[in-house]
Amino acid sequence: MDVSLTRNFCIIAHVDHGKTTLSDRLLEYTNTVTQRVLTAQHLDSMDLEKERGITIKSHPVTMVYPAKDGNLYKINLMDTPGHVDFAYEVSRSLAACEGAVLLIDAAQGVEAQTVANAHLATAQGLKIIPVINKIDLPSANLELCMKQLEDILTIPAEEAILASGKSGIGIQDILEAVVARIPPPRWSHHPSTRALVFDSLYDSYRGVITYARVFSGSVKAGDQMLLMSNNQKSEIKEVGVFTPKMTKTATLDAGDVGYVISNIKDTTDIKIGDTLTLARNPASEMLPGYKEVRPMVFCGLYPLESSDYEKLKAALGRLRLNDAAFLYSSESSLALGFGFRCGFLGLLHMEIIQERIRREHDVEIISTYPSVVYKVKAHGADEIEVDNPVNLPDPGTIEYICEPTIKASIHIPNESMGDILALIMEKRGMCDHTDTLDANRVMLSCVLPLNEILVDFNDRLKSVTHGYGSMDYELGDYVQSDLVKMDILINGDPVDAFSSIVHREKAEGKGRVLCEKLAEIIPPQMFKVAIQAAIGGKIIARDNVKEMRKDVTAKCYGGDISRKRKLLDKQKEGKKKMKMIGKVNIPPDTFIQILKN
Amino acid sequence: MDGRVMAMSEIEFSLNDAFARSPLGLYVHVPFCASTCDFCAFYQTTPTRSGVEGYLNAVRQELELVRLRKPVDTVFWGGGTPGLLAPEDLRTLGDTVLGACGQRPAEWTIELAPASVTDARLAVLKELGVTRVSLGVQSFSHALLDALGRQHTREQVLKAYARVRDAGFASVNLDLMFALPGQDLAAWELDLKTAIDLAPDHLSTYCLTFEEDTKLWIKLSKGQVKLDPEHEARLYERTWDILDGAGYSQYEVSNFARPGHACAHNLNTWRMHEWVGIGPSAAGQHDCLRGANTADLDKWMEGIARGERMTDDRVRLTSGLLVEDAMVFGLRMNVGVDLQALKTRFPAAGWADLDRTLTRLSEQGLVERTEAVVKLSRRGRLLADSVGSELVGVLSEA
Repeated sequence: MDVSLTRNFCIIAHVDHGKTTLSDRLLEYTNTVTQRVLTAQHLDSMDLEKERGITIKSHPVTMVYPAKDGNLYKINLMDTPGHVDFAYEVSRSLAACEGAVLLIDAAQGVEAQTVANAHLATAQGLKIIPVINKIDLPSANLELCMKQLEDILTIPAEEAILASGKSGIGIQDILEAVVARIPPPRWSHHPSTRALVFDSLYDSYRGVITYARVFSGSVKAGDQMLLMSNNQKSEIKEVGVFTPKMTKTATLDAGDVGYVISNIKDTTDIKIGDTLTLARNPASEMLPGYKEVRPMVFCGLYPLESSDYEKLKAALGRLRLNDAAFLYSSESSLALGFGFRCGFLGLLHMEIIQERIRREHDVEIISTYPSVVYKVKAHGADEIEVDNPVNLPDPGTIEYICEPTIKASIHIPNESMGDILALIMEKRGMCDHTDTLDANRVMLSCVLPLNEILVDFNDRLKSVTHGYGSMDYELGDYVQSDLVKMDILINGDPVDAFSSIVHREKAEGKGRVLCEKLAEIIPPQMFKVAIQAAIGGKIIARDNVKEMRKDVTAKCYGGDISRKRKLLDKQKEGKKKMKMIGKVNIPPDTFIQILKN
Repeated sequence: MDGRVMAMSEIEFSLNDAFARSPLGLYVHVPFCASTCDFCAFYQTTPTRSGVEGYLNAVRQELELVRLRKPVDTVFWGGGTPGLLAPEDLRTLGDTVLGACGQRPAEWTIELAPASVTDARLAVLKELGVTRVSLGVQSFSHALLDALGRQHTREQVLKAYARVRDAGFASVNLDLMFALPGQDLAAWELDLKTAIDLAPDHLSTYCLTFEEDTKLWIKLSKGQVKLDPEHEARLYERTWDILDGAGYSQYEVSNFARPGHACAHNLNTWRMHEWVGIGPSAAGQHDCLRGANTADLDKWMEGIARGERMTDDRVRLTSGLLVEDAMVFGLRMNVGVDLQALKTRFPAAGWADLDRTLTRLSEQGLVERTEAVVKLSRRGRLLADSVGSELVGVLSEA
């Protein structure tokens, strides 16, 4: 097939704007998948993805479409991850396309993520086809969507296609637009073979499967491939395309999107954004845009039962196989025993991994307070990166600490302005400017410390805007900040799992809340137990665990000795299940309850 | 193999040594009741003529099965309602028991329900040599008695008490219960005052316990009654203060006596001496074994006929187990545990481990200790179970 008859595009949208349903309709319309085979939402195959309505792993699909111009087109649809945590993966998926369908929910209008994605797509040089989806909803406001398209995204409203994935309206129009408006594959005349690696998958039978978009040349089984980021060579064993299931082909040619199976054993060797070329005539220059992905958020993960350590280790290993962005290494905590320090792209990524450990690998885990990566300089030492409060150098020796920030765009209804500004202030943020989106909505551009949005920012945003607010962000600069390590002491002993790095001005308030909650969650003890928050040696907040008042059996006679012993043994077993910290028995779910909030 | 047998007999030998000078008690469970009280989890059944006759026979057979190495010092008839037996049945049972004792027991207690107290029964008991009568009063309040499903009235209690006193028993106890559903502090104080005014020699005051398989337990699980540990703790402390002021000194969590009237039988069990349990559901500890009879009249009789007893919860005693239990039960007594005496009896136990635990409990203000004696603090007494759970497994695992 001629390159001119190939089109590569993706669909970008805000969460819940109907991307997956629309994708399914396209597959159905082109008979790629019949209605019968189509599970409710075909492309999101993980349970978690379905539940959360988001796409975590990208699944490309090759369709064949007989266009009105009489030609048979090969159309590759890239499904992009829909969350800011996976922004780099999104950018690589976008880079594998020449065009993007920008989906806007007719009832919701343009949201923060829509804008961010549209900017990303434009930055990759993609042709954008605006589609207003869900037009058959009673609450659809087409006029507003059109206006927003022009005002916010500067896309002519007449380019918009009206559609409904649910009812199948506008599907053919979209396919026609893909063929007519999106240019054929670019860079196809490069003298060497070049393919963009945009994802990889580990299959226990076939090993590492690399997802790639070929820009120039071709690859086939038997070729020696070369990965340009690390100069690793290996023999290609099979190539093919997704229809959507993996279908073996003789070659992958310029413009094609498909998979490559080689004898690479470890997914960590496949870096997203890398350029795959051939060893016999290697390209001299990589495709643009490659970056090393680095985790932004860290936390400790510990098995609830220490006997599950090996099980957890195996689970992390398996998850890592399919997720090169997820990092882990072993660590130990005085409070929690042996576990792992884990790095994630962001909070959602962290939540998803934790949830998968619990569900798919059946290991109950305790997670410590999440931390960002700080840059710390101590006197007479080089600047180091600290992702665990425990590793912070002695406060007396610290010259400075820098923390990562984000540049956020927050879309809110006008009436929430005051509340949001207060929230941003509370979170140590700065609002640079505000843009009016329409009569009812504004967009705030602000800079916030990443550690302030780790835990509850998004929930708070949703809550003060009654669900109408949305946020998107990209990483900003590191800035120097007055940060301190806050310890929590139980009965005088510091509990490392509860340590956190906080801004000095917020330490007291945060310390008080933590102490109060711990005092509430820890069951009454046999003796007085103090919970304290401290910076260095200085106590900044304290509370007391409730003292047990009465625990005595009234009647104990000869006949009761065995029975009584059984009761006491049971009580003792119960205590054994708890974590002994500073002579205090703490139920394991204390950590979950505290760290959850 | 030989070595193990040797080792076992050596343990038995040293335990026998430990028990050589310890007193022996005899507990006889009389399993008959006219009805079931809402709080009661003790084994009981409705009496029939054949049941009673079978029971009396089986008691005699069981006593023959037990090898008593020494004379019996104390006897305790509990139930059930021993007083439900007809006077002639009481005499039969008494003669059987006396025959096995080898001597006239220094203390002989019988539990009586107030409604079953008659002059005829009291006369038989007096003649047999019963020294101590324990009346299951529970409360003097009509409403509270009714709520407990007790089959007697305040008037019956007063009449029964007068009869027992007139019969001239050496020691009389009243059993009372507190923290009953609907009972506030004032109502409990009134019950206590009524009891004190009767001037018994001994008072047992039991905080209501919700035992599994009782009617009260069902009410609790249905949320019809609620637990209130704070309220219970207040009633406990108030009880201690009131009874102390009235001349009853507390000698155990729930037991108070005038000087010389503490129940020797119970003291001996709490000190981990030896006692034999006779009758269905009766538990015992002697001959290096601990165990209980099956809690079913017919099955118990069948077992006895085959020469089998102590079939449930059978445990071979070890020094570690005995020391732990002597601590757990001994600490519930106000005099505490005489560590020196215990060390002399069980020198082989892991005393260093125990010492570490006691030091920690002492630092936490739950126990008070001197060189020789360890006892619970006032706060520790309200947390005796928590303290006990710290002590179990300290030695017996070693």
